[in-house]
Amino acid sequence: MDWVRQQFDTRTIVLIPIAIAINIVLGQTIAAVLKIPVYLDSIGTVLVGALAGPIPGLLTGLLTNVLWTYVLPAPFNSTIAAPFAIVAAEIGLLAGLFARYGFFRSRPNTPWPTLLAGGTAVAAIFIIIGYFGFVPFYAGTDFTFFGDTAEASPFFVAMGYLVAIGFIAAVVGLGVVLLVRRDVGIAYASVAGLITGIVSAIISAPIAAVVFGGVTGSGVDLLTAAFQQAGSDLQTAVLQQGLISDPIDKTVTFIVVFLILQTLSRRFVARFPQGERIVGLEGAEEDVAGIPSA
Amino acid sequence: MTARADAAEAAHREAAVQPGLEPEDAALVARLVPPVPSPYHRLNPLTKAAIATAGSLAAIVVGGYPVPLLVIVAALVSAEIAGLLGRLVRVTVAVGLALAISIVLVSTLTRAGETVLFVIGPFDVTAEGVDFAAQTLLKVFALSLSIGLFTLTTHPRALVADLERRGVSSRFAFVALATIEAVPAMVRRAGVIAEAQRARGLDSEGGVVARARGLLPLVGPVLISAVTEVEQRSLALEARAFSRPGRRDLLWAMPDRGAERALRWIVGGVLLAVVLGHLGGLV
Repeated sequence: MDWVRQQFDTRTIVLIPIAIAINIVLGQTIAAVLKIPVYLDSIGTVLVGALAGPIPGLLTGLLTNVLWTYVLPAPFNSTIAAPFAIVAAEIGLLAGLFARYGFFRSRPNTPWPTLLAGGTAVAAIFIIIGYFGFVPFYAGTDFTFFGDTAEASPFFVAMGYLVAIGFIAAVVGLGVVLLVRRDVGIAYASVAGLITGIVSAIISAPIAAVVFGGVTGSGVDLLTAAFQQAGSDLQTAVLQQGLISDPIDKTVTFIVVFLILQTLSRRFVARFPQGERIVGLEGAEEDVAGIPSA
Repeated sequence: MTARADAAEAAHREAAVQPGLEPEDAALVARLVPPVPSPYHRLNPLTKAAIATAGSLAAIVVGGYPVPLLVIVAALVSAEIAGLLGRLVRVTVAVGLALAISIVLVSTLTRAGETVLFVIGPFDVTAEGVDFAAQTLLKVFALSLSIGLFTLTTHPRALVADLERRGVSSRFAFVALATIEAVPAMVRRAGVIAEAQRARGLDSEGGVVARARGLLPLVGPVLISAVTEVEQRSLALEARAFSRPGRRDLLWAMPDRGAERALRWIVGGVLLAVVLGHLGGLV
């Protein structure tokens, strides 16, 4: 219990409302303006999880969704957020755990061999998870992935190519960022995001299917409709849509949070409960002048 | 009637003030209490929350036609008592329209079913799809009306003060209130930063690509400035004994009555009965 209380110092408690506000403002803007199949409403949650710990991250996710539906007044209110509170909580929890094990730590000036190894490892992980984790879910419908495309409807062939291009673009983009910044920490953050995205998709699919009939009023509904049209039942269609949107969304979120943490000053980050693991000062409990940091 | 309503409101607000204050101080604090213009407003926040939760849970868990319709009618009647009927309907429609359109399109056009009503292009509109869409729409509107009624009749400060009076930690109360103030504040700050960036030549009216490129110079400063504020705020709070353990004395909190306590138990019991009845196949 002491471990839990340690994560909740004053800075954490002040950060949580700001993180919730970031979640809600960004999530609302994205849902209203851009009709793309990502949500981007967990940046604050992941930030709190990384800086303060798994339990504050869990609380931030939970409170974001509950306050978004039950307490915030009209223009900022969302009908659909509350049932997904448990998904948001899980995102914060996983972010905190990944941060605890150094997945958000910047590793600058990585030597080239390590950089190449990191980039290859991430590409390999993406491809393996993509092939074994995704394709079996889609094999039952007309969705073919470089298979026999003669019989499949053109919509799904196009979708297949789009997803493949998306994958390849992501891996290439990641490689470029690795080359430019020479910081293999991004590779760690993106793997953490991918894993979190898959877990989130699995947890949120039954909730969406049961509570709202698989529809949330955002851009992802087109995907759900497409899968249902191809013959999947509701539960499967929602899961298929989730397994496309959530990993992309969470990977982007984790990378954004990684970049934010690099932009904030080291002194600021290091004073948070898990800040030292992010900055890389593990084991250093006092700062330079010998005064224990708050 | 207006004079009597005003008198009732004034009496309620005075009753909310902590006892033991000097009369002038009590009058001053009574002005801080949020307005409560109707009998529905004057219910304790926890009672209103219980009603909203019961209504939305019943509608979602049980589904079908009769229960959500009942919840919708109850919400509309309560809104009329609160004098908010027009506003509630406007807000619900504004918030729920996109969702409703999505539900109707996705469910009627793509859901599998047997009795095909008519065909539009590659899509079959089935009776099962229409039935599913209708039930989901009712669920969503029941949920939206119940929760909308609660947020329109309950001031956030009143809710948080009531929770704190019942023993919820003051830190949680701080988090809830700070969030409610932080969201509009962040939107305002984003507006200011947008204007500043526009003065520096940021293109805000181009096509999609131009707008996407302009997203980072806009979002970046908002995020970073919001997060760096944390340091100053936490120092200010520490200077005001924020981390002192124990409860605080509240200057005002909405009163609670025995009748309302009984009402909450009844509402909870009805919800339980409805849910169990549904699970047992009765409703």
